[in-house]
Amino acid sequence: MKFLCVECDEAMALVDTRGPDRGSMTVVFVCPSCERRTAMLTNASETQVVRSLGVKIGGRTVEAEPMEGIRSGLAGARPAAGEGHGAPEHAEASHSAGPEPGHGGDGSPSDGTSKCPFTGMVNEAFEADAVSWSDAARTRMEKIPSYARSMVMKGVEEFAREEGVDEVTVDVLDRARGQLGM
Amino acid sequence: MKTYHDIATDGGSDVVGQVEAQSDRLAGRLAAVRRIVAVMSGKGGVGKSTVAVNLAAALAHTGARVGIVDGDINGPSLGRMAGVLEAPIRRKGAGVLPAETSAGVRVMSMDLFLADETAPVVWDAPSQTDGAAWRGLREAGALRELIADTEWGELDVLLVDLPPGSDRLPTLAGVVPRIDGALVVTIPSAVSMSVVGRSVRLMQEHLHVPSVGLIENMGAYVCPHCGEADDLFPSGSVDALARGLGVRVVARIPFDPAIGMAADEGRSFPQDHPERPAAKAFFNLANDVQSMMDQL
Repeated sequence: MKFLCVECDEAMALVDTRGPDRGSMTVVFVCPSCERRTAMLTNASETQVVRSLGVKIGGRTVEAEPMEGIRSGLAGARPAAGEGHGAPEHAEASHSAGPEPGHGGDGSPSDGTSKCPFTGMVNEAFEADAVSWSDAARTRMEKIPSYARSMVMKGVEEFAREEGVDEVTVDVLDRARGQLGM
Repeated sequence: MKTYHDIATDGGSDVVGQVEAQSDRLAGRLAAVRRIVAVMSGKGGVGKSTVAVNLAAALAHTGARVGIVDGDINGPSLGRMAGVLEAPIRRKGAGVLPAETSAGVRVMSMDLFLADETAPVVWDAPSQTDGAAWRGLREAGALRELIADTEWGELDVLLVDLPPGSDRLPTLAGVVPRIDGALVVTIPSAVSMSVVGRSVRLMQEHLHVPSVGLIENMGAYVCPHCGEADDLFPSGSVDALARGLGVRVVARIPFDPAIGMAADEGRSFPQDHPERPAAKAFFNLANDVQSMMDQL
């Protein structure tokens, strides 16, 4: 994907990344000629596509770890001794391609932040302010056409946060329906 | 106004550069692999994984350095069939070490990353029901990592055991820089052969795989007492399919209940029962594959 400043007929350049915000990322581009800025806002599915490609928008600062996509993306991976969740044990005492000092197994700093703002954003977007769904509530959502479902779910999750609840149940859905006019 | 193709830069996102780096990493790994051979069908339930794991064992028996990767990302089975389910994932250099069978076959499978044998393959995502846009990317990425991030060492052949579906070979072709050969497994039923025929034509007409061989699986039953073979399907049908497609039948593996039992126990059938007709068929197939690889 590329961005063009129509007025200047110039390719725009990535200048900033912002977020995360409930699975959505903000990527800001600027026109090098007129300095007009425009932002690309992704929905959760689009964010997931980027994540699935195994790339870091804005570029990597460290080389990818072996099996990085499988280890970081697989829910409920086999726990292994050593580096933690789903991480390989080391077959040798020292190795040349290990994580940088002070970094976690995914190449991010050990304090949980990322050197690349976009890298961190992609990963954190799925963790921040997470609202879970009960099975019954999720089943009810499946009656909504798929093209509208994520928008409705987003609204319900927003309602749940405002209510101070961290799980959407059928009861929460009923209350949201009255409040949101669904 | 400029179009996409008029703009050389990606604006700093570096997505293309990273995808190229992934390809370079894979190419570097495969530089030590002499041949890549897909074991596939298009049709499910015809014994692809059984053939793949026993062919790998038979090849190793001939002295070949053999690796096998489980291309079934969602339904891996090689962990059990190769007897390496409990093998730990251990890192070496810039990759992880493959598990190794008693026959010396190096194995990599999603099985090795899952919490237990019945754990489903579920990717972290905002919703599992809206995955049409990204699930295929995840699976192709996982296959790439299983091949590129495994310290295979030097291999004479890397077998890729593909899941059912005629779209699987194009997926593999999009991941690896070359496919040297394909072994297409079928049972002699009309339903299986029509699907298999479609897969073979796809690879001939669109993917240009240099060498293709048909494997007839479970076409006959050999009595363990008298040695007489009985056809389980009308005879000659796989030969007719092969003639029509212009490919060779490279093996006929008779049905033998001991093959399934060995797979369930993670044992090598050809090693355990070298005297049985099915084991001999696997050894003959291994010799044929060796010749095929030498001729390429």
